[in-house]
Amino acid sequence: MPPDKTTFLVLDHITAGYGRAEILKGISFTANAGELTGLLGANGCGKTTLLKAMCRQIPCTGIITCGGEDLTGLSGRELARKISYVPQRTGIGISLPALEVVLMGFNPRLGLLERPSKAQERQAMEALAAVGMADAAHRDYQTLSEGQKQQCILARTIVEDAPLLLLDEPESSLDFPHRRRMMNLLADMVGGCKPGGDVVSSGKAGLVVLHDPALALEYCRQLVLIKDGVCVAVLRPGEDRIDRMEAALSRIYGPVCLADLGEGGRRRLVMLAKE
Amino acid sequence: MARPAEKRNIALCAAAGILMLAAALASLLVGKYPLSLAALLGGDEGQLRVFLTLRLPRTVMAALGGFALGAAGYVFQTVFRNPLAAPDMIGVSSGASAGAAFAILFLPATAASVTGSAFTGGLLAVGVALGLSALAPGGKNASIVLAGIAVHALAQTALMALKLAADPERQLASIEYWIMGSLNAITLGKIPFYCAVCVVALIGVFLLHRQIVLLSVEEGEARMLGVPVGRMRLLVLVLATLVVASVISVTGVISFIGLLAPHIARLLTKDNRLSTLTLSGLMGGVLLLVADILARSAATSELPVSIFTSLIGAPFLLYLILRGNGGERHAA
Repeated sequence: MPPDKTTFLVLDHITAGYGRAEILKGISFTANAGELTGLLGANGCGKTTLLKAMCRQIPCTGIITCGGEDLTGLSGRELARKISYVPQRTGIGISLPALEVVLMGFNPRLGLLERPSKAQERQAMEALAAVGMADAAHRDYQTLSEGQKQQCILARTIVEDAPLLLLDEPESSLDFPHRRRMMNLLADMVGGCKPGGDVVSSGKAGLVVLHDPALALEYCRQLVLIKDGVCVAVLRPGEDRIDRMEAALSRIYGPVCLADLGEGGRRRLVMLAKE
Repeated sequence: MARPAEKRNIALCAAAGILMLAAALASLLVGKYPLSLAALLGGDEGQLRVFLTLRLPRTVMAALGGFALGAAGYVFQTVFRNPLAAPDMIGVSSGASAGAAFAILFLPATAASVTGSAFTGGLLAVGVALGLSALAPGGKNASIVLAGIAVHALAQTALMALKLAADPERQLASIEYWIMGSLNAITLGKIPFYCAVCVVALIGVFLLHRQIVLLSVEEGEARMLGVPVGRMRLLVLVLATLVVASVISVTGVISFIGLLAPHIARLLTKDNRLSTLTLSGLMGGVLLLVADILARSAATSELPVSIFTSLIGAPFLLYLILRGNGGERHAA
């Protein structure tokens, strides 16, 4: 059991949708400080909608508290300081050096007319180095590959240093080693909880939408399974019984089985479709 | 590639600044009554009078006006994420034209009334466009553009009605001539107020340059980066409108600079930062100064300056594009 299990994020009966179409039909779950929570579900089940609702991009009802604070009562700027949001595709449409894109992450904490300081510029360079993009700092963001763009946005998330991370498929364009690097960084940012390691509470939590169950099972302390706008199960891949998890995952993905490839008491789960 | 880009951008701005000063100097000396530096410094009274009453205000207006139109063009293109965006997208020049036509028809025929009415018309059109767009749910870029198109069409209709009602001999000609744009009739007395408005609004634009870049980011993402998108966009558009309206109400409609200068700047800097905004302004200033010099010296009578802004600007833009100095990626 992790030593510090404090509930950090509470979602209570969230409903949201576009126009009259209701996508989220009352989602409730909690997430602990220091833990990465994976959101899993088939396409169109409401994962992205949930993140957008939490960012107030679409109207929603229900209660969201983070660190005991009601998010719905915050001003736009306070919310921006509280949440670091990575959309599926970032909407940066003009030519800018990658470093400038990373520096945008400081904006919630800067005055309207304030420039990022030299120290912040150094921090941004460090973040780029951490994601493996130090060489590309002065390249035009528009000329980067989709994967490099995602790394750059991850660097921006690092400098934002917000208590709540909401990431919508942040690894979709990354190759295998970079995916692992990103998930390691995210786990580090949220709580230094590497696979199998102990949780050190950082006063942060992360919700990450993932399509790769292998990543989710390895890096997320908790998985929230969503189907048709409701939460069908909350799993803890490190602790729950494998047959229970199989049954739950089968509800969203169709018949699947899990195999444990771990050694020495440490779980490493893979998921395969049942023949 | 550590920091060469930044150094190069500063060098580009310095070069453009020197070019603009040179163009301004030429503008001071060239014209129907050629002036010479020697005579001016020697205290020739006739030359000094021409210098102070004609050349100086005209040159100041061309330099400031060009700078303003170029910088405002950058703002519109960035905020709307559209390489074709121009101030007229939200109705400022059609509003100003209708305002000028209104003054020519119905107000006492003084230069001040035409300028004031054009300024009011431009601001009114943008005010209506922004007001209408605020009624739409969400207040997205698209609704501002659509409201702008509607207001633009209304202002054009009003202008047409005013033209129909105008006396074809004098008033209609005045309206047409105003719309063509010229720096001909600028006098020292006419410009201080408009120059002051323009400079103050420009300072605002430069102070907000980081927020302007952030406004180009998709709305939901920008909001989560701490940008109060709705209010900030409104503020920036109002400032840019003040910049443009204060210039064109004095000079009449000047085409193409707002479109061209930012493209030249971006082709040179290849990014969108303070240096690009500055360079947009400086290139606009150079363009308008040179166009104005040509407008008053190419033929025996004054020609509309817009002819030359397009004539110099379009080939230059083509040259830059064909040379492959590209990397121009503006619209997503």
